[in-house]
Amino acid sequence: MNYKDYVKWERMPSTWCPGCAIGTIFKSLAYTLEKLSVPREELVVVSGIGCSGRAAGYFDGDSVHTTHGRAVAVAEGIKRGNPALKVIVFSGDGDLVGIGGNHFLHTSRRDVDLTVVCVNNGIYGMTGGQMAPTTPPGEKTLTSPRGTAFAPINIQAIATAGPRHFYARASVYQVNHLQQALREAIEWPGFAFVDVMAFCLENFGRRLAFKSGHEMLFKVKADFKINPAPAGRLADNELGVVKHGH
Amino acid sequence: MMRLIMGNEAVALGALRAGMSFFAAYPITPASEIMHLLAEKEGEIVFLHAEDEIAAIHHAIGGSLAGRKAMTSTSGPGMSLKQEGIGLAHMMEVPLVVVDVMRVGPSTGMPTLPSQGDVLQSVHGSHGDYHPIVFYPSSVEECYRVTIEAFNAAEESRSPVVLLSDGFLSHLAETVDLEAVKVEVKPRTLPPLGRGRRHFTGLLAEDGVPRTKDTAYYREWYARVKAKMSAVASSYRFFEYLPNPGAEALLIAYGIAFRVVLPLRREYSLFKPVRMFPLLEDEIRAAAEAHDKVVVVEMNDGQYAGEMRKLLQRDVLSVPILGGDIRLQEIRERLHEL
Ligand SMILES: Cc1ncc(C[n+]2csc(CCOP(=O)(O)OP(=O)(O)O)c2C)c(N)n1
Ligand SMILES: [Mg+2]
Repeated sequence: MNYKDYVKWERMPSTWCPGCAIGTIFKSLAYTLEKLSVPREELVVVSGIGCSGRAAGYFDGDSVHTTHGRAVAVAEGIKRGNPALKVIVFSGDGDLVGIGGNHFLHTSRRDVDLTVVCVNNGIYGMTGGQMAPTTPPGEKTLTSPRGTAFAPINIQAIATAGPRHFYARASVYQVNHLQQALREAIEWPGFAFVDVMAFCLENFGRRLAFKSGHEMLFKVKADFKINPAPAGRLADNELGVVKHGH
Repeated sequence: MMRLIMGNEAVALGALRAGMSFFAAYPITPASEIMHLLAEKEGEIVFLHAEDEIAAIHHAIGGSLAGRKAMTSTSGPGMSLKQEGIGLAHMMEVPLVVVDVMRVGPSTGMPTLPSQGDVLQSVHGSHGDYHPIVFYPSSVEECYRVTIEAFNAAEESRSPVVLLSDGFLSHLAETVDLEAVKVEVKPRTLPPLGRGRRHFTGLLAEDGVPRTKDTAYYREWYARVKAKMSAVASSYRFFEYLPNPGAEALLIAYGIAFRVVLPLRREYSLFKPVRMFPLLEDEIRAAAEAHDKVVVVEMNDGQYAGEMRKLLQRDVLSVPILGGDIRLQEIRERLHEL
């Protein structure tokens, strides 16, 4: 199958703004499904709520667009209900590690065979640009007008807390690496979390004086470097795959 | 064979008899025995002790989408948490059974004395307009039978059906001959995930395509769903009416309260709705017409009495039995004071 066969073209154009990073991740996932020849009848994409959460409806397998934060919980139910399905969660950072944080904590602990793709744009994009658990320290948002006072959540630490784990950090600039990470995640027989460094132009970047998606993309390029063989944990500015146990 | 079993056990056994093969819950008294019993079946069914009640109902939604008859059980504090998932299941039209074994609230309240305080929550707890089917048995045998019917109604309506119980009924032990209970088990209706191309969403959608700005479509969709719920409900007209020709007043009571007022049948007519919602409009109207007074005896502050006033468009008296203690003597005295 061609990657285009995984896309519901009749739903295009998408709801995403020009210059948005989500499309790159969406397309990379479609490419990866092609490379792995995932049969469409086995594919179930599950999303929560947010701009990223709209992705489920654009995949041409079966898909479930749940409520805010509950994608992982519904996905676990689906996987346990029918282990033959390939269940992929595609959602936002606020959705997955903010409101849905408890499900992330526990479904990862139970090592359920899911792939979770997190669009980490550091913001609540859909609702206008409020602080997310991932917002970089000091950054100004609608709900942190004087700058975020809190350290961002350490997703890597949570995702790698168990004896068996898979955590990948990838970016929308280093697309080959992103696709490789997605591929390894989907092939991983347990809970796999792919934390994709992305950005939001309209509801975050513009307030920080970015003028285009292109400018934000080059900020991602400048901020992150690929570590092809991480020894232990990834440093904050590193992209790579940390996996153990299966 | 007659066996001595508890209300909660009857619910678990009824669910298994109905073909439930997916159960997720979070422990809470007085509902936990349902969970304990089903934990023993892990392997035969998918059993999940979830991290919280929100997870539990969303697991159940996932399990149902994947093709299994699914159930979750809880008590009031957990029922409050499940409301989000109940709304989602209504919007996505996913069959499910949600058991709420009521205890005194609000909040942690009086753990774990019995109550009927979640009657309105069971129909109005999630946001927006929706029309759930709600059952409430009043004996252990009925717990078993009505649980099976709740699964049937969930399948036929493709919606989350609520099964109410209470802290008294759940732990009430009675002898029941389960094999003698003859209830047809309805087959699965929702084709499972794994066919490709179907999109389930909590958004207003037509064939999986969001229609979130279309008022006319919302109205059409709403009318369809409402009509579906009442059409399905019409084949589940469960109630008990014990008319007393000499009686001036009709007592309406349900669940454990019905059991307690049963000895009053020599002085009053009694009506017990088992299908609590949608209201048994015709049956209740007919019973009420024959009486000068209608009185609702319930373990909350007049929740169903308010529904009866709306339905009957006449005065309905309320005898609220609050705080977890229900006694016939007190009810008798309060009725005489009316
Ligand atoms: C229970 C609930 N609370 C709040 C909202 C409003 N809401 C919608 S999307 C969203 C944040 C989404 O942020 P994120 O998951 O990071 O997705 P993004 O839009 O950035 O891709 C919020 C708070 C909601 N839909 N439901
Ligand atoms: Mg975000």
